[in-house]
Amino acid sequence: MSTDNLTVAEIRGQRQVSVIEKKGGGKKELVIIGILLLALFVYPLLPVVTGSNHNYSLHLLLFAFLYIAMASSWNILGGYTGYLSLGHNVFFAVGGYVSGMLLASFGLSPFFTWPLAGIAALLVGFGFGFITLRIRRGPAFIISTIALLMLIRILFDNWEFIGGSNGISLPLIDLPVQLVKIPFYYALLILAVVTVYSSYWIKQSKIGLGLRAISQDEIKAESAGIPTSFYKILAFAISGLFVGIGGAFWGQYLTYMRPNIYLVILIAANLVLMSILGGRGTVAGPVLGAVILIIINEFFVSQFGGSELNIVGTGVIMLVVLLFFPLGIVGSLRQAGKLPKLLDWD
Amino acid sequence: MSELIQILLLGLALGGVFALMASGLTLVFGVMRIVNLAHPIFIIMAAFISYWAFTLYQIDPLLTIPVNMVVMFFVGIAVYKTVLARGVDKPGYVTITVLITFAVALTLDGLLGYFFSNNQRVASPAYATEAIFIGSFFIPKAQFYAAMVSLGLIGLVWAFLKFTRVGYAIRATTQNRSAAQLLGVNVGQISTFTFGLGIALAGASGALMSFLFSFFPAKHWEWIAILMSLIVLGGMGSLLGAVVGAFLLAVVSAYVSSFFGPTWSPITFYLALFLILLIRPEGLFGEKQEAL
Repeated sequence: MSTDNLTVAEIRGQRQVSVIEKKGGGKKELVIIGILLLALFVYPLLPVVTGSNHNYSLHLLLFAFLYIAMASSWNILGGYTGYLSLGHNVFFAVGGYVSGMLLASFGLSPFFTWPLAGIAALLVGFGFGFITLRIRRGPAFIISTIALLMLIRILFDNWEFIGGSNGISLPLIDLPVQLVKIPFYYALLILAVVTVYSSYWIKQSKIGLGLRAISQDEIKAESAGIPTSFYKILAFAISGLFVGIGGAFWGQYLTYMRPNIYLVILIAANLVLMSILGGRGTVAGPVLGAVILIIINEFFVSQFGGSELNIVGTGVIMLVVLLFFPLGIVGSLRQAGKLPKLLDWD
Repeated sequence: MSELIQILLLGLALGGVFALMASGLTLVFGVMRIVNLAHPIFIIMAAFISYWAFTLYQIDPLLTIPVNMVVMFFVGIAVYKTVLARGVDKPGYVTITVLITFAVALTLDGLLGYFFSNNQRVASPAYATEAIFIGSFFIPKAQFYAAMVSLGLIGLVWAFLKFTRVGYAIRATTQNRSAAQLLGVNVGQISTFTFGLGIALAGASGALMSFLFSFFPAKHWEWIAILMSLIVLGGMGSLLGAVVGAFLLAVVSAYVSSFFGPTWSPITFYLALFLILLIRPEGLFGEKQEAL
């Protein structure tokens, strides 16, 4: 389940305590995070100044930013309410194709059209959430997210206008090769920061309280006057929004779009795994999970190559986490009372 | 008109096989509330057994059914014991088990893909190319045999549930787990056995899949959505529901396939799933689901 079995009142209590703690201590940690962020913001200036090529490290970092944003986004629904979406890359594809098609047809850069990609993802979230989230939690929602993924895959594979299964190629950004990744780097870094902050903000807000009440006991939450259906649908749409925006940049970054880049279940599986590895329902969890998993992934790919073994690795790690520490790293450490302040972002 | 009847026949033949594929899934859900996302990868695993038996030793896929069932029964029990048996009574078991079976599915998908590659395969016994004629209508022999075998097996399972003591206990556990336990049913053993039985049924369907549909490891994601739509339509946990859902949707998808092309026939199942969720989430024969 979610982090722990607290009642709503206890959650409220804990929330007040954590606010008080933040006022007292936590300054040092904020400074460390600030310095880290500053370093990440300054890092791409290195190739500009020295003229050297840092494309590999830039690629890894911006890949991490993308997944930090997407996993944190998944966590808003999957972590806070316990409604697991196993087809979340549908939003990735929707956002990617909206911006990608605008670029291919009218030459509009994703750096201007990303809000449209976000809105499209938001609308898909509202529409699909309206169908599947009005009933109480059950396996049906999870299954329907897989079905949605399959449905969109068939549609995109057969829709000639967007290139069908062969996809469509997109024009490069007109920049020297060692600088071409930098705009994407900043876009995705900002997206990651905004997503994580939104995830934190939502958790602290009244909606977040409602969402966590839903994860504990939906019937009680409903009788306590929480508009559960609306909150769930809203959470689903918001958690689609950031993934959609991430998709908008990803198409032009890769310079092509194909359904089998966006719409493979491994992406959705990775989002789920990152969240539960780091700690489902915590703010820092998905960030930590994304970073760890991308490092492991990079190691796997460099050692073994094959994408099939990648899938095995994802499955095995997920099994180990679920069986031995289902609360994830942050959740387990918190339960043991050993969570360093640096990782306590709730 | 005669064309419509022809399509109906083909749809019904397909429905029998779908029913067998979904029966294991619905049994496992009924007894343990486990949504076994790994069910189709077990079917594909068994399809590989039948496929290799046919390709290497020319053994008829239909004859491998008993072997498949025994092997997959023990595979099922092993999987249940190692990753699913813990924490059955804890809250959140449903959510955790969905993720666990998801992880099992990923792992097996990757392993099968690594060892056997993701090429499309299909076994082609002699009857795969022949057909049975009834007046002016025809049914391919492969689909006819498969449907008959499926219905026979489902009949056996139904009789087993209805008339044996273990079957009794399984039905009791499905209806009310804690009450069954109070009345002396060993719920733990029943769960283990049912999971084995469910996977054994997946094993039998695998033998049929090996010559009916071209398969490859990664295909199981499509199948999980299809099979789930069948049992959601029928009402999750209900064997009868799974059979009725299978026949209904198989027939509809056969019509969709012949009017709009085979690419679109899977869409029938996905759209049906959304429609059921929108209109009648508990399905045709299901009881209203409480929050799980």
